[in-house]
Amino acid sequence: MNPRLTRRRFIKSVIFSGAALSSGAGFYLASAQSRQAGAVERLVSLNINGRTRRVDVMPQETLAHTLRYKLGLTGTKIGCNRGECGSCTVTIDDVTHYSCSTLTHSVKGKEVVTIEGLRSESGALHPVQQAFIDELSPQCGFCTPGQIMSTVALLKTNPRPTREEARQALSGNLCRCGAYDHYLNGVMRASGQLS
Amino acid sequence: MPAFDNMPDMELYQPVQIDDALALAARLADRGWLVGGGQDTYGWIKDRNKRPDALIDLNGIESLRGIREIADGIEIGALTTLTEVATNPIVRERYSLLSKAASVVASPQIRNAGTLAGNVAQDVRCWYYRRGLDCYRAGGNLCYADTPEAQNREHAIFNASRCVAVTPSDTGPALVALEAQMVITSQRGQRVVPADRFFVGPDVDIENTTVLRDGEILTAVRIPAKWAGAEFYYEKVADRNVWDFALVSIAGAMRIEGGNIVASSIVCGAVQCTPRRLSSVERAIQGRPRNEATATMVAGMASQGARPLNQNAFKMPLMDNLVTKLLTA
Amino acid sequence: MTYKLIGKNFTPPDIEGKVTGDARYAEDFRKEGMVFARLLTSPLPAGRIVSIDYSEALAMEGVVGILTTEDLPQPAAPANPSLASEEITYLGQPILAIAAVTEQIAENALEKIRIEFERRPFVVDPLDTLVEGGPNPYPKGNTLVRNAVAAAAGTTQSGTDVAEIKWPRDAINAFRAGRDPGPSVPWGNEWEFGELEAEFAQCTSIVEEPFVTIGQSHHALESRTGMAYWENGRCFFYGSLQSHTIGIAPLAGMLGIDAANLVFINENTGGGFGGKIFPYPIMAVTGHLARKINRPVQLRITREEEFYIGHARAGMQGWLKLGLKADGKVGAVDMIVIGDAGSGGGASGPGAANFVSLMLQPDAMRFRGVSLYTNTAPRAAQRGPGENEMATALSPILDKAIRQAGFDPVQVRIQNAPDSSGTIGPQRGALTGSWFPQAIAQGAEMFNWEERKQLSGRRNGTKVTGVGVGMGYHSAGASGYDGLLRIGTDGKLYLHTGVGNLGTYSYAAVVRAAAEVLKVDWENCEIVRGDSSLHLPFSTFQAGSNTMFTEVRTNNVAALDAVRKLKQIAATDLGGEADEFDIDGERVFRISNPSQALTYAQAAQRAVELGGEYSGETYPEDLNPVTSRSVQALAGTGLIGVAKDPRHTGTVPSMTVGFMEIELDTLTGKYEIVDYACVADCGTIIHPMGFSQSMRGGGVWGVGLAGYERLVYDTQNGLPANVGLYQAKIPTYLDVPLVTRHGATEVPDPQSPVGSRGVGEPSQGCACAALASAISDALGGHHFARAPITADMIINQVAQLDHFNTGNLKTNTF
Repeated sequence: MNPRLTRRRFIKSVIFSGAALSSGAGFYLASAQSRQAGAVERLVSLNINGRTRRVDVMPQETLAHTLRYKLGLTGTKIGCNRGECGSCTVTIDDVTHYSCSTLTHSVKGKEVVTIEGLRSESGALHPVQQAFIDELSPQCGFCTPGQIMSTVALLKTNPRPTREEARQALSGNLCRCGAYDHYLNGVMRASGQLS
Repeated sequence: MPAFDNMPDMELYQPVQIDDALALAARLADRGWLVGGGQDTYGWIKDRNKRPDALIDLNGIESLRGIREIADGIEIGALTTLTEVATNPIVRERYSLLSKAASVVASPQIRNAGTLAGNVAQDVRCWYYRRGLDCYRAGGNLCYADTPEAQNREHAIFNASRCVAVTPSDTGPALVALEAQMVITSQRGQRVVPADRFFVGPDVDIENTTVLRDGEILTAVRIPAKWAGAEFYYEKVADRNVWDFALVSIAGAMRIEGGNIVASSIVCGAVQCTPRRLSSVERAIQGRPRNEATATMVAGMASQGARPLNQNAFKMPLMDNLVTKLLTA
Repeated sequence: MTYKLIGKNFTPPDIEGKVTGDARYAEDFRKEGMVFARLLTSPLPAGRIVSIDYSEALAMEGVVGILTTEDLPQPAAPANPSLASEEITYLGQPILAIAAVTEQIAENALEKIRIEFERRPFVVDPLDTLVEGGPNPYPKGNTLVRNAVAAAAGTTQSGTDVAEIKWPRDAINAFRAGRDPGPSVPWGNEWEFGELEAEFAQCTSIVEEPFVTIGQSHHALESRTGMAYWENGRCFFYGSLQSHTIGIAPLAGMLGIDAANLVFINENTGGGFGGKIFPYPIMAVTGHLARKINRPVQLRITREEEFYIGHARAGMQGWLKLGLKADGKVGAVDMIVIGDAGSGGGASGPGAANFVSLMLQPDAMRFRGVSLYTNTAPRAAQRGPGENEMATALSPILDKAIRQAGFDPVQVRIQNAPDSSGTIGPQRGALTGSWFPQAIAQGAEMFNWEERKQLSGRRNGTKVTGVGVGMGYHSAGASGYDGLLRIGTDGKLYLHTGVGNLGTYSYAAVVRAAAEVLKVDWENCEIVRGDSSLHLPFSTFQAGSNTMFTEVRTNNVAALDAVRKLKQIAATDLGGEADEFDIDGERVFRISNPSQALTYAQAAQRAVELGGEYSGETYPEDLNPVTSRSVQALAGTGLIGVAKDPRHTGTVPSMTVGFMEIELDTLTGKYEIVDYACVADCGTIIHPMGFSQSMRGGGVWGVGLAGYERLVYDTQNGLPANVGLYQAKIPTYLDVPLVTRHGATEVPDPQSPVGSRGVGEPSQGCACAALASAISDALGGHHFARAPITADMIINQVAQLDHFNTGNLKTNTF
């Protein structure tokens, strides 16, 4: 039998149409299944970048997914979705975590900060952001938000790290471009050790 | 074979009391999956190679966190993060072997989330198994890694039994060396298992690397005072210095009196499915100084009896070399 | 030469977005009604599809549509089809895409699809298909041949076909054992210059060594995700390419539309490294699926899929015979490369051979090669394809010959390195200019080679010191593209560029050449880029380290065109001849009386009024259609500077030398890179911090190629072992030196208006070569014959367990 004919038999002429399921965060609600007994409440309040956000979260949903697809915070990047690169690094109560490997439901009641949450109220860049500009730290930029979040967390506990301490602290952030030197220069500048 | 990347639908339970967690663990049994740091959870589930119906997130149970002194040593809550184990002053002062081991796990972010319990309970890294193949460990009836053509550089050189995967845990060898006690709780009560019996090889159980059974939760790890403040040596040899699992690791505790080793506990990681205690080396160095001559005397002893696969013979000299480094550091 | 902008650091306009998270990559764009697609990929390394049943998947709630190969134009093998059917040639090859309102639903739907496959024999080691009776990766054969056939409609590849080439088993056995396979085997590519045997006869130190290099995955951190939607027959495509406007025509071709109906938006690209130079097959899936279901579609590519379809370096299994004469001159080189092109793509043997011919300037050389397919991930150019893996293979072999003869490794490299009279390849082509011997000497001084080489073999406990030197090269220039700029009636200089934003900031560095010529303050310049609806010129591809040379030329000719027009307008308005006028301070003025002047704003206003070529209503006929359309759209909005760059002559050589000191623990096979210093001969440095990034980033890549990164396939089932980042062993912060140093000769290239050449690729080659040499040096000159050199290989060598691993000359298996 001609395999192409075999396959064609299965092609549907009518494509499923879902106008109600279309855009924005709405489709998650629309496609949600009813809550199973005993499971977590799906509608939760999250503290993201100092603001309380009400969001519908699937039980198994990762924080990276919530940030990027529910809250529009696309500065947090998904480089591997397996905890192997660090592009999705955010801070949770000032500690760095891979948001691709964090359940959103586990951050209820905690303070999540993403790259979008670093600017001051007036819109000024965070000193780490400015230092990374000054040192031309990013290359392609895809890992940069994660590198910055790790640096911000480091400087909160260790305001004047040595270069060695800095590279240990940032070591969970892979940079495929190999901009490690420039990132470390950025850390040193942000901590006032380069002028 | 789609490259799945999304967590499929499942329930999530977030108990805040240990009793509730134990009840859930008992009720859900093999349909449930305990989540501590979750760092060896989401990959399995995103790949859809493991598919529990429900996650039981233990992070809300405060009693499972923290490091406290007990009559004989210290007790570390199962959910204590690896970062905390690595930086805790008591652990660093008395059991630097463990803090060192915890400090070289994976990456900073994984240590910030990953727990001590998760590090010892994590599944093996055999890449054939992780790819979802139907090997012995996955319930099938063959091993893809133990063949003449297989890519088995990271696999076992000792005690293979159908499966040739190795223990991936960095803290496991340290805990075995420190003769830690693993506190396992279930609705039926509590049992305390010595670390060296906590880990099990494929000859005992082909599908599980520990004695933990459905309904049980590893709630704490106790480190006895026996080795507190001893001389320690830990080294992990991995390809990269971040993220990678050990090619071989060594964890050793030694008591030295009058210039001689009077007691030692030396364990290798990543050479078999469980941390491997180097008993023959321990016996041979008993009563001898920790020096080059003793190292020379025991050269080759650690790897005796190894049965390498086609690509992992290097683990034999590496084991022996790490014993040398332990004795000459 | 004193410049205002060239050679100065600046803040590229896109960098703020990178540090704030505002920079948008393809995956960050959303569109009303957007749906999410996921791929079904092949579980087999070779075979065909007998039947697909996706009825159940399509009936699921939330599933919107499906795309299979039947919806797409079919390219002929070895062109990589976007979706496979009749010829599945690698595991992970996309078969169909399914769109749903969420990714999760799309994945749930994938689980409901039933496919019946027919298996075919497969091969992961190129020698297994080269041997008589060995399976062919494609039904038609195992090697690429060039022909003149045009690409099938709607596809991009042309001029290639699959043929078969086989060797007798004895020849394969000899080659597997590291020897010349003998005179009677067929080759796909052969060339020779000089009197090979006669020159070898004059050599006093001859070495013969096999070598194997593997095909590391590109693994750009941003995978090749795309988003597309259609409006009134026009496709809006958000993609991730290294290049920009050079990709428009091929992408439009893949989508079956006129290039004028494609809007290609690509503001940022999260790395490419050669894997995203031109539109790649999966982009057709995104575009066609969006059209088929008439919805915006985001097709996100996962990390595992990026391994499958994101390309890898070609692998090499080779053999090299090299002879030094009594005075240290390289007399002859005989070289064989069996290249592994994976499933589609080309192997890199010819580039590797050209590299050797340039770096050593031998009196005679022969190259023999075969490019073979295997049922592994498709290969593509990767950062110095051919050159950098050959640099890694060559360096310890050259050192062995040098050691045997008792020479100094640096002196021999200086002695043989090309100067401006050097030649490259079998045609012995000329160079635009080379000051590489000086570069090596400069590097030796920076590294303090004379003292540091004394440290070779020094023991410190279980550790031993090794020092190494390595050389990198890539041709770094093209020509013939278009430059386009506009002086607005607001007086600002709008620098239009079709250069992609792959992370080097070259798009910004090169347009500064136009600002320099027009003497405009950088604050009054605006770069227009990243979105073809902004009217961009046809620019070069961002690969081959060529942008810094090529696009400085285009910006220069566009700026000179604008200067000419400024002077003509001034002459028209103020009287006299154009050559009586000059420019400065953003004014065009009469040289004899500078108060008679037009500001650029005034001149732009006059250009609009005068029309014609001044405002882009007419333009040169030789422009690329992409540029022509852009000029048409810009016509009447200011003074337009536009021109096609004439051709340059000769190879533009960008070359680097690297010096490394390592301390290697002989008991663990691990080493610390104590110092790394490198020097480039890449002309004028036009953006010092960008240069620094290239040299340092290339250094990290060098450590990866020579020391860590792997490509592992199981020969039993064709399954790749390292689809993820952790298994790919990409170097981390803790695997590379804490501090590195670099310098440059800064001798201008004669054929670049400001003397610049790129250096992105050679910056890796010198590092991997230096590391390979340093490891060999630490171990008394042992030649591993394989890259990467991993800890297990070192442990085995020290333990003299050479019958394991290190003697195993196979690609794709470590």
